Amino acid sequence: MAQEHILIRDIIQDHSERMLNIKKYYPYFKLSENAFTQFQGGKYEELDMGYILMAVLRFFIEENNFKEKDVYYEEYKEFVREIYRRDFMIPLDEDEEEEVSAYIFDKIKNDGKPFSYSYFDPAEKKKKTIRIKIIDSRIKNDKIGYFITSDAIEFYLDTKEVKDESTISISQVLLSKMISAKNFKGGIEVIKRINNEVGRLKARKNEVLNILNYDVFNGIKIYEEFLNSVIKWFDEEQKLFIKNMDLIKTALDRVESDSEYYNAVDDIYYLETELKMTISRHKELLTACTDLQMKADEIIEKAKFSKIKREFDFKNALGMIMEKDDTTLLSHIVMPLLGININKSFSLKSIDKMLTLKNDKKEANEIVKDHKEEEHYVYDDEIEDERIKHNFSNLIKELMECVFEYEKFDLVLFNTRLRNKYGDDVFKSSDYYSMLVHLSQKSEYDMDEIMEKQDTFFEDYLKEALKELDESQYRGLKLKLIYDSKEKIKFFEDACVTNIIFKLDYS
Amino acid sequence: MDRELEKALEIVSVLITGGDIKKTNEHAALYEEFTSNAGVYDMVISMLKKFNISLYEYKDGLYVSPGENNKIFGYTNEEIKKELGVRLNRELYLCYFIIYNIITKFYNSSGSSTFTEYVKIEDVISSVDMNLKEIIMNLNVMSLDDIEQDSFKEIAITWEDMPVAASEENSKRAGRGSKVGFVKLVFNFLVAQKLMLESEGRYYPKDRFVAMITEYFEQHKGRIYEILKGE
Repeated sequence: MAQEHILIRDIIQDHSERMLNIKKYYPYFKLSENAFTQFQGGKYEELDMGYILMAVLRFFIEENNFKEKDVYYEEYKEFVREIYRRDFMIPLDEDEEEEVSAYIFDKIKNDGKPFSYSYFDPAEKKKKTIRIKIIDSRIKNDKIGYFITSDAIEFYLDTKEVKDESTISISQVLLSKMISAKNFKGGIEVIKRINNEVGRLKARKNEVLNILNYDVFNGIKIYEEFLNSVIKWFDEEQKLFIKNMDLIKTALDRVESDSEYYNAVDDIYYLETELKMTISRHKELLTACTDLQMKADEIIEKAKFSKIKREFDFKNALGMIMEKDDTTLLSHIVMPLLGININKSFSLKSIDKMLTLKNDKKEANEIVKDHKEEEHYVYDDEIEDERIKHNFSNLIKELMECVFEYEKFDLVLFNTRLRNKYGDDVFKSSDYYSMLVHLSQKSEYDMDEIMEKQDTFFEDYLKEALKELDESQYRGLKLKLIYDSKEKIKFFEDACVTNIIFKLDYS
Repeated sequence: MDRELEKALEIVSVLITGGDIKKTNEHAALYEEFTSNAGVYDMVISMLKKFNISLYEYKDGLYVSPGENNKIFGYTNEEIKKELGVRLNRELYLCYFIIYNIITKFYNSSGSSTFTEYVKIEDVISSVDMNLKEIIMNLNVMSLDDIEQDSFKEIAITWEDMPVAASEENSKRAGRGSKVGFVKLVFNFLVAQKLMLESEGRYYPKDRFVAMITEYFEQHKGRIYEILKGE
């Protein structure tokens, strides 16, 4: 019985409300159906009234609500003219353009009358008529200005999230209109919609972060889109929040003097509380977005770094283990996580078990065959160290041979010697340049001091090279380095070094 | 005894007996000594190296790992079985597999976290289910004789044969009888190993866990990849 009652109430009582809710869609379908077939014998049938209507609505929102000005007919004409040319590519002369624009305008204005349709209200058992306007007009400074109605804004918002504008801002514009029109109940609905949007953006923020974590490259695109569609509107949204709070305050001030406001005082207070909560949620969204920016920067930074430096990829490693179908390999991942094993003695239980030699009643404990031996690994960095050591020793030996042969020479001569001996490949090795960098850390090298104490990495190698010589050869010897910044030695397209003059000095 | 050597020994002794050295705990003075005195630092590193123990610094704390196959300070598989409370090898490897799934819940790679704050037992169960899905699907057409020892089919069967929970009353009790119980066994072990912290059924990674994932695997990736590739 109760179920039946609910069913009847849904059908009868709520019917009127449902009709009011769908009224905003009515003009669109009315307009887009056969709009151009009757006009001029179907000459402009290729034009799409539905599309033009949506474009005009967006144009009015931009002008009325963001630029806060009315639209004049000339401006409208200019806007639709762009549409014919850009989107339909129909060659229209000026007169035709004039004619078509006027026709569309009259259609959208429904020849100055509201769009209307009738429905049967089962609760009151009578036919009712709903009226709706899309564009309204007013006279300002002896000129007729046009503006979009709140119903049309609501319709536009319902069709899709506005990409290039903030949905929150547009909803707030609608809220302002509702407060001005004393439609406080409608205002509460709009605030609910804003809350939904704030909640949606918060959830979206988490999604963006997840995508960034899994796929940085796609994530960056989505993150940038999110920044453009959310963060850049914060200032504007906050201004609009303040504006709406002011409007509510003004409404509350009028409660005493105006009976219409007095009757709606509960709704106004409710609206005020809801808006305050929305503002606080909006601030939370701002904090969440700031947090997202910081985390995203961190992820992007890491991704840039890891492009150069390979990381240990757990998912990929698991794939490799599963492909080998060897579960024992899992221990290589798990064992290192564990702490130090400090229990080195037999537990009392085990000793007791050994003494009494009790048999296991339950299933026997299997022994893992640890057949692995401690292996000796040569790490990548050790291989690299060995290479550097080898190359540095050879380069330093060559340098010392030059020193003893010429007493004064420059880097060009040294390079020629290297080229003759090793070919051009020696200049492709990063070790050659790194040796020069290490060498240039000092402008003088005292061989006696180096044999006693080595300050730099280079001196370590130099000492090793000197050890192979007879002591009398380097005793009391000093090598001076003069940097000739005017002369640059070019190796490749983008690689050049300052020339260095090496001079031998005996103390 | 030389003061620096004494401090270094003190630090090593705390670390190898399972203690934590942090800027904010009772060993703050030792942490300070380690970070500000180069002599102490060098000695600690060199002593630990001789013990085949790796040291990692993370968020003002020092953490050690015996790595793999460390016969003195590491665990053997038998010891881990005992700690976990399992008997069979396939159960041990299933535990390892569960630990691996827990790692991937928090980290994609050693340098990329998923920003997951905590995991619950049910999250881990679905992750294990998902990773074993393909093998489990093929189990229906497989002869049991085909199942090799230490293979993933073996742990998939162990997993698949368990009910999700043993019974309503003890659904969250650790044990080998159900998936929930099994994952709980693993979590208890990770909590005992100071890798996880439990609060109201949520498991949060501790600094030690993060330090190991980000530092150990970063440093040893080359060698581990070689082992996994079978080179």
